[in-house]
This record gives sequence, structure tokens and C-alpha cells, in this order.
Amino acid sequence: MSMKNAVYTKFKDISREEHISPGTALCTGCGGLLALRLAYKVLGENVVIVNAAGCFTLLSVYPYNPFSSSWMYTAMASAPAGAQGIRDALDILIKKGKLKSEENLKVVVLTGDGAANDIGLQSTSAAIHRGLDFHYFCYDNEAYSNTGFQMSSATPYGSRTATSLPGEINPQGTVQRKKDLFEIWRAHKPPYLATVSPSHPVDLSNKFEKASKFEGPKLFIALSPCPPGWSFGASNSVNIARLAVQTGIWPLKEAVYGEVKHTVIPKFKPVEKYLRTQNRYNHLFNPVKQVDVIDNIKKDVEQYWERYLDS
Amino acid sequence: MIKRVRFHGRGGQGMKTASRIVGTASFLEEFFVQDCPLYGAERRGAPMVAFTRLSKEPIFERGIITSPDINMIADETLLGDKSANVFQGTWEGTITIVNTHYPASHVRNVYGVVGEIVTLDITEIALNVIGESVLSSTAAAVVCKLTGMITESSLEKAVIKELSSINLKKELIEKNLQAALTCFDRIPETHPHYFEPIKEDKMDEIVKLEYADPRIGTPSVYAKGNTRLKKTGNWRLFRPVIDHEKCSRCRTCFVYCPHSCISIDEGDYPQIDYENCKGCLTCFYECPKKVISKDHEVRAW
Amino acid sequence: MVKEMLTGNYAAAWGARLSEVDYVPAFPITPQTEIIETLSQWINDGEMNAKFTNMDSEHSMITAAGTAAATGARVFSATSSQGLLYGYEMLYNVTGWRVPLVLVNVSRGLSAPITLEPDHNDILSTRDSGFIQIHAETCQEVLDTILMAYRIAEDERVLLPVLINMDGFYLSFTREPVEIPCKDAVSRFLPEYNPKHAFFKASKPMSQGVAVLGGSAYSYFKYQMHLASLNVLTVHDEVAGEFKRIFGRSYSATEAFKIDDAEYVIIMSNSFTIKGKAAVNKFREKGLKAGLLRLRLIRPFPSTELKAFLRGKKAVAVIDQNISPGSGGILFKDVTTALYHDPDRPERILSFIGGLGGKDIGHAEFKHIVEEMEKSIETGIVPETQLLYTKNDLEHINNLLNIAGNPLEGLEN
Ligand SMILES: Cc1ncc(C[n+]2csc(CCOP(=O)(O)OP(=O)(O)O)c2C)c(N)n1
Ligand code: SF4
Ligand code: SF4
Ligand code: SF4
Ligand SMILES: [Mg+2]
Repeated sequence: MSMKNAVYTKFKDISREEHISPGTALCTGCGGLLALRLAYKVLGENVVIVNAAGCFTLLSVYPYNPFSSSWMYTAMASAPAGAQGIRDALDILIKKGKLKSEENLKVVVLTGDGAANDIGLQSTSAAIHRGLDFHYFCYDNEAYSNTGFQMSSATPYGSRTATSLPGEINPQGTVQRKKDLFEIWRAHKPPYLATVSPSHPVDLSNKFEKASKFEGPKLFIALSPCPPGWSFGASNSVNIARLAVQTGIWPLKEAVYGEVKHTVIPKFKPVEKYLRTQNRYNHLFNPVKQVDVIDNIKKDVEQYWERYLDS
Repeated sequence: MIKRVRFHGRGGQGMKTASRIVGTASFLEEFFVQDCPLYGAERRGAPMVAFTRLSKEPIFERGIITSPDINMIADETLLGDKSANVFQGTWEGTITIVNTHYPASHVRNVYGVVGEIVTLDITEIALNVIGESVLSSTAAAVVCKLTGMITESSLEKAVIKELSSINLKKELIEKNLQAALTCFDRIPETHPHYFEPIKEDKMDEIVKLEYADPRIGTPSVYAKGNTRLKKTGNWRLFRPVIDHEKCSRCRTCFVYCPHSCISIDEGDYPQIDYENCKGCLTCFYECPKKVISKDHEVRAW
Repeated sequence: MVKEMLTGNYAAAWGARLSEVDYVPAFPITPQTEIIETLSQWINDGEMNAKFTNMDSEHSMITAAGTAAATGARVFSATSSQGLLYGYEMLYNVTGWRVPLVLVNVSRGLSAPITLEPDHNDILSTRDSGFIQIHAETCQEVLDTILMAYRIAEDERVLLPVLINMDGFYLSFTREPVEIPCKDAVSRFLPEYNPKHAFFKASKPMSQGVAVLGGSAYSYFKYQMHLASLNVLTVHDEVAGEFKRIFGRSYSATEAFKIDDAEYVIIMSNSFTIKGKAAVNKFREKGLKAGLLRLRLIRPFPSTELKAFLRGKKAVAVIDQNISPGSGGILFKDVTTALYHDPDRPERILSFIGGLGGKDIGHAEFKHIVEEMEKSIETGIVPETQLLYTKNDLEHINNLLNIAGNPLEGLEN
């Protein structure tokens, strides 16, 4: 699917400039880091990242910092409030003439799915409600990874986590369905909202580019394959992200003032193919195949797409 | 008599479990015992340490072991890694055991190790017997033997207990056990250094902290992109190598490198920053022309 | 300069206005609301050139206050009791960021049970956060202390945030004449904030609030906060001296009332001190050499000054308007610690708890305190911490217990 404002059509359009240096403490093959790196290429240098507790806090561990721009760690719950403070301060200082307008920065919130869906949902909702001019980059690795991969409300049904292990009572692992953060955010009608995947760099770049034309909240949820948490080899992040898109598990979409459009229509590869790439789903196949659970996952995907392909 | 064991490995190699197997084996011998891993900021693939203390008397110590009696270096690429600092606090009474196929004399020549040194290629044993390079039970077995205080049967029970607790399948536990016993046998029964270590703590001294300018006295970083200095290239087990002659300059590898380790040179060719490339091999798998190969990382020397 | 009838809340708003703060993030809580309502109105009317943002919680509010200060803005905010605790996590963050914002706490007893009137468990729960703490006795002092607080906080030798405490109701809702200094005088006293260490701008990227792993680095930065706080003992006196020169009112870290020849000294803080002063006057009429110290600067704790004031006194009684269950009064420990090594320390130091949830401390209480001091001098026995609770209080609560119904009635055994 092509986009009206598309400026990226091929890999060669993607900037060669790097804004996150090598050498961070993040895991080998971290999918979220790849997504952030690609996003940064569009955001450029004049950025201040406001980070919540999570794996990505460890991007910057004293005395090191991988950025060509600014950064501030806040707390798990309130990165969007931190962004509010910085945005407000920049605005008032520029208005008062205490800061030159060329010193202005884009304010970017960076949190995991746990912060976004759970403890930080209130401060996010409030920031969107206030119309804060900021980007929110949520790397969704579908659990509390930094603390050892416990269940968050973004953990998908059927996934094993350290606090939703498959057992006698719940052989499927996680019982709950993944919270629909996209829809929660969309209900606030922000100017721009999108899902992205590191496997689709052109789509990702176009979305960040398009978002830059809007003032107000610009929100992104990036699928972030996590080798240790999802339990797969470090070389497979891009492939797994691609499969998530191709199977329809991870819809690539955007919403402008609440109006949803899918930017990639999947090939609907078998969902099983995706599940089998990760050992967090191993219990669905071994020692016995949990057909009902796998069917439920399939059904969820089908139902989702039926809704959108009909309309 | 107290034995302080320090395990050096990389996240994911099994050193935490190794420290626990030794801990449990010592516990079964009814010694006083402590074991703990140390978590840094780094995630999987990065250098890590774990500790076990075992003693016939109550232990009046806790936390990190700055000066080990037994120093297990399970990953030879750590030897040359300054940040891993694997020889920290080693002294004449330390037995350093390095997982390598090189003889001990070679390691001593290159690194000038203080104290005794033993080498054993436990990776090879693990690969042969278990089929993967997980080193928890093998490293633990070597250490158990070196303590001179732990019997084969306690080691056996400890391996079963610890590996079952991380939900390892029965067949795998069996294989681990076999590999562990092989290692246990390979370490000689007695050793000149199996004596009560006598050692005086080197005394540090207390200083008075002065007030610093707040620009210095706050944890702020002013340098741009200095994580580069961390040189994460030593995390790598496999090295991606681009065959530039066959490369189509499509930039796929550059786009997909999560760690910003591939740049495009003036001739439009991708170049890998080996000082920092973590060896995730995303580039290897994603290259549409399949012109990137993976080489087992050269030895640390 | 004008003199007007102002509540403590209104005086706080004036303090922020005169300090020409850039930014006020806010979240309402009784009894602080008037402060933020007033500021919101002034900013909306263009009387103040600042940005006001309604936040979603105190946790968010303190975060925004901290990050704005880290961006280079002069920031003010206010909260109370539950709000202060709700934002507690962020208090330790903003002190670690070393940002010089000023936060007013309007004291109110903590839930449960939920209540409205003041005691100081809320503010004292933050005593180890690294915030500089100044507790005010009058509405005038609230205003003056805000001006002084920015001078102290923004000093390169300090760069720590300040919490100013005033009692809910007793100051917040009480009007009394307050001198509002003129703008010129204030700008002579308090120059524009020009941050050198914490700010964000495009031309000079930096990372703030970076994770620190390893005990020696962590200890270093934490201890810097301690050293910075200790520097306040000097900076406060310098700033107070200049404040006096420009505005004529003088403040010291500890306020001494009739202390010079006093033999019996009562130690208090905040607005109830006035009741203590009245009691001292009464005792003196009867020929008893009583005096009072008001703890104004709570962090850093002015131990040396306190020691000097109390040298050679017969007995000291600390009235804590707070309670640490299982331990007693919080400030009592700070006072005794400060005095312990002085060879000439007071013979007896007694501990009392009073004024919880705004309960009055009346003459009966003060009389009891002095009698206890005298008794302990005579007998050499120092009593355990005592609650200042009267017969009337007991009667009152018994009445209430009756009305609430007795669940034990009719129960066998
Ligand atoms: C108030 C608070 N509670 C708990 C934590 C511990 N904690 C740190 S990171 C984290 C997980 C964050 O999960 P997510 O936002 O998904 O990011 P990820 O770890 O996956 O990168 C938790 C629970 C914390 N830092 N603060
Ligand atoms: S745990 Fe997962 S999300 Fe966290 S750094 Fe590692 S790969 Fe990335
Ligand atoms: S192996 Fe991974 S880190 Fe190294 S160059 Fe390839 S993609 Fe980058
Ligand atoms: S992906 Fe392969 S072909 Fe394409 S630029 Fe990289 S090495 Fe060359
Ligand atoms: Mg997560």
C-alpha cells in the first residue's frame, strides 16, 4: 500500500547517519533497539528522549551514553509527565527570550510496553489529553523484560512469561488477551498514531516522516522481538518481526485523528509458523500440541482482519 | 577452611547455574555455603560473574569476591577483555581454570597469570557429550574437583537438582551429568595448591570526599555517543564477513543492523565495525545475496 | 511594598509570583488548592509570565517540575499530605537530578484515618530525600522563605530543591497582615535563574539522570547531595543576611525565643510555635525561666547552632507534631543526636508528641511539659515519650466511641 506523503520507497532512502552509537548494554540482536535506531534516523539530532524504567534505561549507564542528542531518565510511571515538563520549559524559555528558538528540541518519550500499558497509562492518557506536542515511542517486547520477562498487559495470550508459566491449571501460559493499546490511545484522538515493525524500515520511516507534520501527540508502538524473553536466537529478530506482520499478528497501521488505515495488508501466512519461531510458545507444541489454544490465537487474528477487510 | 570461587562467563553461558551447582553440592556435603550472581547493566552475551563460597566454618563474608581461591574463566575471549577484569585480585594461592584447548603454560606466557593455572577444553566436552556449548554443569564439575572438598556423588545430586529446577528435559540432564563426570575425572585428585590459603588483605584507606561542582557532581554525561568505547566486539562468538566482490550494495545489512555497526563507505559498500559488532548475525541472515559469511570468532590471542 | 491581609496560601502564591517563576505544574489537594488556583488565575490574566499546566497526579506533577527545572526553567509547585506521598518516588529523583525547584507543602495529617488538619508526618517522611526543608511559622514567613529558597537552591554550592512547609488551616487558610515586597527590591535580591549545570538545548546535547551502577559511583553522587545540603548552613545565613539588608526582616536557621537566660527550653516547629511562645511568656510571669527554640531549617539540620543555643540549659522538651509508631517523635532524635557530644549539654531532654491531626496544644499541655521537666531534674528520671492528651480529649473520644456503636456489646467472652 502506498502512502500519500511517502518519501521513503527503498532502503537507499534511509539516512546513513546514526544517532545511537554502537556499544550499548542492550542484548545482541534486540529488535526494539533496531526499531528505535530506524526511528531516530527520521527524528534527527535535535531530540531529547524522556525514558521510563525498562531495558532501554540501560542505553545510558554512567559514564556512557550512545546518543548524539539529549536524554533524561525519569521513572517507570511518568515519562510522559517528564516530557510535559521539558516541552513546557522549552516553550516558556523560548517565549521569554531566555532560549533561542534554534535551540528547540523534539521531545520523545521512550518506554516499554509495561510502562505504556500498565503503570504509565495514566500519565500517557493525560499527556495526550493535554495535547502535548511530543512523540511517544513504545517498544513492545510484550512483557517486563528488564526485570526478567514477567507478564505485562501487553503479553499475548498463550505466551510463557516468568509470571505466567504454563502449568496444570493454565497450560496455555498467559490467559489474558493482549491489551489493545492502539485502540486505547486512539480513543484520545491524537493527531497521529501508528504501529511499526523493525522488519519494515520503509513503512516505519514514512510513518515517522508523516507524523512530523502534526503538532500534538504522535504515538508509535513498535513490535520488538526480544531474543532472551521470547527465547529465540539473536539473529532472528527481523525475521520474526516480519513473520508477525505477514501472519497478520502484528497489523501495520496508522490513525490520523482517529481514522484508521492499514499500511500493509498481510499475506496471512499460517500463524503457527510465527509461534514456532519462539520458545515462549514452545509449550503450545510440546509435549502435546494445544490445538485449542493455537486455534484461539488464529481466530483472534482472523476476526481482527475480517473486521478491517470488510470495512 | 573457606574456598572462594569466582565464575567468569558471558550472559547465557550458564555460569549462574554453575555457581549454584557448586553451592548445592557443598550444601549436600553439609558445609556452610553461599552462592550469588552479579547482574550488571549488560544483557545476554555480555561478561558476567557469579560466586560461590564454601567453608567448614561459618562464613563471615558476603557479596562479591574480589580475591578468589578458585577463578573459573569459562570463556577464553574474556581473557583479553579489560572490562571483564578476570584476573582481578588473583594471588599466589589462586587456582585459575581456563576453558580453552591451549595448554596452561601458553595462557601463563600470554597473560602472566599469578598463582596456579589449569586449562581444560570444557566447551569441547560439552559439545561432544551434550551437543551444545552450555557450560553450567561442566564448569561446576571442574570447580567441585578443584575444591578438594566435594565428592562425585554430591556433584551428581547437585547437577540433577539445579538443572531440574530450570526445567531442563530429562535427556538433557542425563547428558549434562555425563559431561560433568567426565570433567570431574579429568581434574587430578590432588594438586600442589590444594592447601589452606594464607593471605593478608591489601589495605585500602579512607579518604574524604570534597564537594564537587554540580556539573561534575551529578550523574550527567556530556560526551556524545561514547558507548563506542565499550568495544562490544568481544561479545561476539561469530564474526560476520562481507564478500565485497559479490555484494550488490543493496544496504539491507546496513538497514537491519540493530547495533549501528554497519556503515556505508564512499564506494557505497557496507563496512562492519568489528570493534563493536556484537555478532547477532542479523546481517548474515538478512543479506539477500547471501554474501555474508560467519566465521567462528578468532581466539582471544 | 504593600501590606495586605493574606492567607498563607495566598502568600505562597505571591512568593512564586515575585520570584518570577517560569513554570507551575499543578494538581489540587486540600488545603493547598488556593495556591494553584491563584497562580492559575494570575498566569491566565497575564499578570505572571509563566506556564501553568494541570497535571494528572502529584507523581506526574513532580516529574514535570523536575524535568522543567532540568531544562533550565525556574519552577514552583505545591502539594500536601497524600499528594506529597503520591509523588514520593519523584522527590528522590529530582534531588538526584540536583534541580533547584521550590515546592510548598501544606501540612495535613496522613490517611488512614483520612483527615484535614495538620501534623508533620507528611513533610517529615521526606526528610531523607535530599530536599532542603524550611518550616514556616507565619504567612509572612511563607512568602519570604520562597524568595530565599530560590536564592539558596540556585546557589552553585547547593543546587538542591527546597520544600517549604506551612501548616494546613493554621496558616494556609488564616489571613494575617503580610508585607508584599516590591518587584524592584525582589529583583535586586533574586537574580534571573541562569542554570549552568542542568539544561537541555539543541546545541549542547547531554544526558541527565543517567543510571549509575556500582556502589562507588553511586556513593559518590549520593554523598555529593549530602555535602551540598551541608553547604546550605552557610548559604542560608548569607542569604538571610542579604534578605535582612534589603527587606528588613531577619530569619535564622533556628529561631530563639527568650533563650538567653532560660533554664527550661521547649522545642517546636511550624505555626503551633506561637502557642509555645505564649506559654513561655506565661511561665516567665510566674518567675520560671522558660524559653523556646523553633526549628526552622530542618534539612540540613543546624546541629551546631542548636548546641550553642542549648548549652548549659537545665532541661529541654521537644514537642513533635508527628509520630513514628514504635519509635516516638521524629525531631526528638535529631535534637538529641545534635546534643549528645556536647559536654555542656542540657541535663535532661524530654520527648512529647502533640498536635496530631491538628489537635490543640493548650496551656494544660505546656504546664505538664514544664512540670515534667522540673520533675526529671529533681528525680533524675527521664520519662518515656508522652502523648499530650488531656482528660477532655479522652471524654470527647469516649463520646464518639459510644456513638459509633460498641461491637463488643452482647458478645460472649
Ligand atoms: C515504580 C516502579 N516499579 C517497578 C519497577 C521495576 N521495573 C523496572 S523496569 C520494569 C519493567 C518494564 O517493562 P517495560 O515497560 O515493558 O520495559 P522492558 O523492561 O520490557 O524494556 C520494572 C517492572 C520500577 N523501576 N519502578
Ligand atoms: S531483554 Fe529484550 S528488549 Fe531488553 S534489551 Fe534484551 S532483547 Fe532488548
Ligand atoms: S552481526 Fe549483528 S551487530 Fe554485527 S554487523 Fe551484523 S547485524 Fe550488526
Ligand atoms: S546485504 Fe549483502 S548484498 Fe546487500 S549490501 Fe549488505 S552485504 Fe551487500
Ligand atoms: Mg516490555
